[in-house]
Amino acid sequence: MSSFFDLPFEEPASAEAAGGKDEPMAATPLPPEPDARRILTVSQLTARIRTLLEEQFFEVWVEGELSNCKVWTSGHMYFTLKDRGSQIKGVMFGSALRLLRFKPQDGLRVVARGRVSVYGPKGEYQIACEHMEPEGLGARQLAFEQLKERLAAAGFFDPQRKRPLPALPRKIGIVTSLDGAAVRDIIKVLRRRYANAHLVIRPTRVQGDGAAMDIMRAVRAIGRVPDVDVVIIGRGGGSIEDLWAFNEEVVARAIAGCPVPTISAVGHETDVTIADFVADLRAPTPSAAAEMVVSRKDDFCARIDRLSQQLARTMDARLHRLDARLRLLESRSGYAGAHGRIAMRSRHAAELSHELRRAIREQLARRERAYHALRLKLETFDLRRRLGSIRTRLVAADGQLGAAFTRAHHRHDARLRTAVARLESLSPLAVLGRGYAVCWDADRTRVIRDASSVSPGDRVRVTLNRGELDCEVSKGGPG
Amino acid sequence: MDPTIKDFEAALTELDTIVKKLEDGDIPLEQSLQLFERGVQLSRFCHARLEEAERRIEILNERGQLQDAPAGLLTDDGDTLKAKGKS
Repeated sequence: MSSFFDLPFEEPASAEAAGGKDEPMAATPLPPEPDARRILTVSQLTARIRTLLEEQFFEVWVEGELSNCKVWTSGHMYFTLKDRGSQIKGVMFGSALRLLRFKPQDGLRVVARGRVSVYGPKGEYQIACEHMEPEGLGARQLAFEQLKERLAAAGFFDPQRKRPLPALPRKIGIVTSLDGAAVRDIIKVLRRRYANAHLVIRPTRVQGDGAAMDIMRAVRAIGRVPDVDVVIIGRGGGSIEDLWAFNEEVVARAIAGCPVPTISAVGHETDVTIADFVADLRAPTPSAAAEMVVSRKDDFCARIDRLSQQLARTMDARLHRLDARLRLLESRSGYAGAHGRIAMRSRHAAELSHELRRAIREQLARRERAYHALRLKLETFDLRRRLGSIRTRLVAADGQLGAAFTRAHHRHDARLRTAVARLESLSPLAVLGRGYAVCWDADRTRVIRDASSVSPGDRVRVTLNRGELDCEVSKGGPG
Repeated sequence: MDPTIKDFEAALTELDTIVKKLEDGDIPLEQSLQLFERGVQLSRFCHARLEEAERRIEILNERGQLQDAPAGLLTDDGDTLKAKGKS
């Protein structure tokens, strides 16, 4: 325990603490005295150490090398920060850890910000980190910002440059490492969503020297593979150094020059790279990229089936309406012939209706042929049953239509006969059958109704029930 | 396939449009039958395209050649993949 009190900062801390209070403390002689003599319990001492440390090191920056990094199931990371001469235990809580843009790893030199805290039960102190960044980040960050600015100025990030992804890619290109988890995540998700997806993978190094050039070549090569109509470019999570290749200009330019739409999927959700800005779409993770690249096959099938059903339902309704309209027309035509219409008109109507009927029959036949053809095409569809019912309805409609016109035709025939009979009954010629005769003038232009209108010697014509007589008046005058 | 159908996406969009047209518009029967037939054609095309893609994983190598991926890539077994990937 004695070594515990040899801590390098105890002395400066107490000196610092005493610094401001020296004078007033000196004026009151009491405090130092009892302190020196009083025997403290371990807990009391620890409490005082805690107060001292936690007040003095409420916020410190410290640099060192990470070791013994371990993330617990709680999500907190425990580690040791060391330099050549010393080490300090540290913790970073999950909430802060998640915000890091890099993955803390053993051997990484970092600058950490946090407060020192004391854990009484074990008599240990540690630094609770709120933030951490890799040493040398500053230079990289600067390079990142500068490249981003340059590419933005060159129009690489323009929204109008972003191309939409194909709804159903023929082949999906993937540029990543075969060794990482990313490629398996992508394959797994794609298989689940769209089992028969055709994937083309262009393996590439994704970190280390030459990775950027490798990625660039891979993107160029895969963009030229026939039928590859979307490319996922990415890798799994890693430190900011690990992801750095995706911040290189050559990669950015290769992505921008890719002839088919691209999705970047680099690291975790919080990792943002230049590639993300240039790609047509940014996915937070490789798995998410796989989800973006194609909807579930089931969803597609459901959508197509829904549309097909709507299609059939609409046609069904259409036929319903057609049927109703035919009925209406048919019922109207029943009123078409009012009493007293002459035969010719009736015959004319009958002829028209016959033509109409033939025309509609032809239409129906054509329609039926069309349906028949469609029905054959639909053999493999769920629609088949649906269309079968439509066809039944169509046949029924056809039958109804035929029957309607037959009825109409009969009615017209009957009306024709009635009209002709009526016409005949009204005809003056009809009375001739009963023995009457009609007397005309010689030209048969005028019916002679008055005997005084003719003189002896005039010629007249007499129409009998059958035949005519040519006569000469021998005696006449008013009767 | 049918030269009048550009691609899956276009087919799906056209199918959508046809259904809407048939539902909303008061179009002549003959034309609606044509649309119906086209719709059937499109949905067949879409279904066919969904089934069409080969369930296949290929590797594009450095020399620009396509080869079938090692079987390890298709399994969830990471070790197999690693072994294959490194070999």
